[in-house]
Amino acid sequence: MNQNKLFKYASISVVSVWLGLFALVPIVLVFICSFLNHNDQSFFIWDFTFKNYTQLFNGIYLKILLRSLELAVSCTLLCLLIGYPAAFMLARLRSRYKPLLMLLLMIPFWTSSLIRSYAILALLKTKGLLNLFLLSLGIIHQPLEILYTNSAVLIGCVYNLLPFMVLPLYANIEKLDNNLLDAAQDLGAGRFKTFKDVIIPLTIPGIMAGTLLVFLPSITLFYIPTILGGAKSLLLGNLIENQFMMMQNWPGGSATSMALTALMIPLIWMYQHFATKGQQQVLL
Amino acid sequence: MTRKLYLSLLYIFLYLPILVVVCFSFNNASHSLLWHGFTWHWYGELFNDSDLAIVASHSLMIATLAASTATLIGTLAAVSLASYQFRLKKSLNQLLFSLIIIPDLVLGISLLLIFRLLEIPSGFWTLLIAHVTFCIPFAAVTIIGRMNLINKNLIEAARDLGALDFTIFYRIIVPLLWPAIVASWLLSFTLSLDDVVISYFVSGPNFEILPLAIFSMVKLGVKPEVNALCSIMLLVTLVIVIFAQRALSKKQ
Amino acid sequence: MTLSHKPKGYLLKRIKLAIFVFVALLFVSSPIALLPISGSLNVYNWADYIPKHIIHKFERETGIRVNYAEYDNNETMYAKLRTNPQNGYDVVVPSSYFIERMTQQDMLHTIDFSKIPNSQHLNPLLMHGGYDPKNQHSLPIVFGTTGIMVNDLYYDPRKITGWSDFWKPEFKNELMILNDVREVFAVSLRSLGMSVNARDPEEIRKAYLHLKELVPNIKLFDPGAGVSIYTDEDAWIGMIYSGAAYSAMQENAHLHYIYPKEGAGLWVDCYAIPKNAPHLENAYKFINYMLRPDINVEIIKASGYSSANLKAMQSLPPELRDNKVLNPDQSLLQGAESIQDVGGKAKGTYEHYWQLFKISS
Repeated sequence: MNQNKLFKYASISVVSVWLGLFALVPIVLVFICSFLNHNDQSFFIWDFTFKNYTQLFNGIYLKILLRSLELAVSCTLLCLLIGYPAAFMLARLRSRYKPLLMLLLMIPFWTSSLIRSYAILALLKTKGLLNLFLLSLGIIHQPLEILYTNSAVLIGCVYNLLPFMVLPLYANIEKLDNNLLDAAQDLGAGRFKTFKDVIIPLTIPGIMAGTLLVFLPSITLFYIPTILGGAKSLLLGNLIENQFMMMQNWPGGSATSMALTALMIPLIWMYQHFATKGQQQVLL
Repeated sequence: MTRKLYLSLLYIFLYLPILVVVCFSFNNASHSLLWHGFTWHWYGELFNDSDLAIVASHSLMIATLAASTATLIGTLAAVSLASYQFRLKKSLNQLLFSLIIIPDLVLGISLLLIFRLLEIPSGFWTLLIAHVTFCIPFAAVTIIGRMNLINKNLIEAARDLGALDFTIFYRIIVPLLWPAIVASWLLSFTLSLDDVVISYFVSGPNFEILPLAIFSMVKLGVKPEVNALCSIMLLVTLVIVIFAQRALSKKQ
Repeated sequence: MTLSHKPKGYLLKRIKLAIFVFVALLFVSSPIALLPISGSLNVYNWADYIPKHIIHKFERETGIRVNYAEYDNNETMYAKLRTNPQNGYDVVVPSSYFIERMTQQDMLHTIDFSKIPNSQHLNPLLMHGGYDPKNQHSLPIVFGTTGIMVNDLYYDPRKITGWSDFWKPEFKNELMILNDVREVFAVSLRSLGMSVNARDPEEIRKAYLHLKELVPNIKLFDPGAGVSIYTDEDAWIGMIYSGAAYSAMQENAHLHYIYPKEGAGLWVDCYAIPKNAPHLENAYKFINYMLRPDINVEIIKASGYSSANLKAMQSLPPELRDNKVLNPDQSLLQGAESIQDVGGKAKGTYEHYWQLFKISS
């Protein structure tokens, strides 16, 4: 019997040790570091302080936080507005091309978002395809300066995160029981009412999953603003990167990261509460 | 009709930038975005660039090793969580969940901290450890999804017949999970190959990897060689995605 | 059951194969990974300083493989070296004011000049600068100016005379600004008539407030791609280093380099070897090679930056020697001031306000 337990203990230990050392401990370190101080000579010194957190509430940091939230919310809303109809149409499609279309949707999902942001960069440049196209059609007479503005960052974020909204919605809508919809119509509900009172409530788990999958990355992606936004410090992600790499303020960076994670907890709680009722499953 | 129009527009939106990059990687012009004729020149430049070849081989090496290790640990984790009861079970579940939720950025800096504490110099090993760590949750989740399809009775029967846990694992569970294992390997491979954020924080000067090299090149502007490089990366990912899809949809 | 129809041991074979491949890969790749990094060299340099083909030439002639990485400001380089004490870099190129600071913090190796015979070609006027009087830790290699670049298709270069013009409302969302704290603060300080090496926190604060007013006019911070951004017309006016200006003007005839009347920025960048460089001998070979007059001439031609190598500068073809960007005469350098180290406290103040400035943009 001892030999049998060996496998159990071995596998549990391997997993626990690895994750403990390289996942749990590091995160705890960040937490601890956020309370430390730093100076000119070293990255952190053992001097406990709350100042890394209190400075987050001061004007400029708050401004970044608000701006990040603004971008994340606009990005999520846009993805929802564009993605919901798309998911709906795809899920209800009765065509033999459906698997192919789904595959085509998955592909951008898997390709590097860096490469896709680069593609947007190429399109939006002053001498890029978009401007060439609009200029040659005579719609504009001077090239549009979209690149290096907030709009470019928003476009980049939506472009990168749209599949993350469509896929969970699609999964959700596909499982909708047609009988429910038929029943609603039999009871005299018009198409709009059916949509509003039956379909939307039933797709809330999908909406929540999609929102979560889009909102979270949109706050933390820092290379999209770097590439498309002209390296102007827009998002929380850039701030954290700045604090760690440029300013060598590790405690400050840790505090901001903790604050960022704290921001996400209510969302995750909402998702777990509304979307995965009764399921003990891990996300995805 | 609106349905077709809407969906077409959507797919055009999704694919136009990528197609632009691919098309212009064949454009016979160094700067202009006007079509000047078809050429393989930039791909030639790419293959002659030995620096890039070395960087690419580094990425492949890390991706392969990380994917294999993460799939192994992920499988062990998935099987343990699904089969056994043990004290750390709930914590392990929550840890895995948090790992997926926590942004890459925070994971990256946390690993930076521990590597500094353990005084491991940034380079190959820090990259490998980091990649394995962030791939494990994804591997585990893919496999857990498949674990539910395994008939528990089968395992019970094997146990009753006196089989050891290891044998059950090796001869029954792994073969049954095989498509999911392959899929999670491919998933981890892709994630590792494309990772920018975590690698940004834990990489060192001796061991440059492809996404970071592309990141520097992208910051320096749009260049035809970069177009060619991106097109190749897109192709590689495309092939892997197709394989993964087929692996997952087998035996459904 | 799904397994019954498969030949016996089929899946078992598959698993064994997978494990074998995994172990084989591990075995094959580990020597490569653990390979002591001998016969190689890690260089960290400013973007656009040394063209790729020169690096390859060096690799071919010496057999040393070079890991070449680039940065676009001193602070990034400094931070990288600090973050990683065993950073693994063998050659870095800090600006003069960083040499002073890094020497004080004992971050640099003492240079053995006997290993760099080509250093005899260096311009004696540039040696023994105040930041390193005996040149124990650094060798000047590149010097230049920071000025204004304008595209005449969009703006009249004659109307732009100094840094103060940047603040004009007509340049809303048009400027490209360098991503360098001291350079950018120098612009603000000069336009206010103050020294670029101000140490008084009040003066630095005034410069910061003035910079804040510039924010609406900033389009982007140079990611190290100054040349292509101006030539591709993604920015039509802004700051630029002299070498990048020269390269850009070669590609796009509409670009002009203007020496601002308040005073252009003046800087010298130097080769230095970090303290724990793993490949000391190779580092010396590299520096010596780059100081070879014929190689240096090629570097100057490709990068557009003036070199501290006197012999190389004298060997330049006339059109380069006479180029106003590469070789400005005294009248153009009126009021130019070189950036110097301002001490730890003031450095911290500058960086603090720099972060606030970047955050508000």
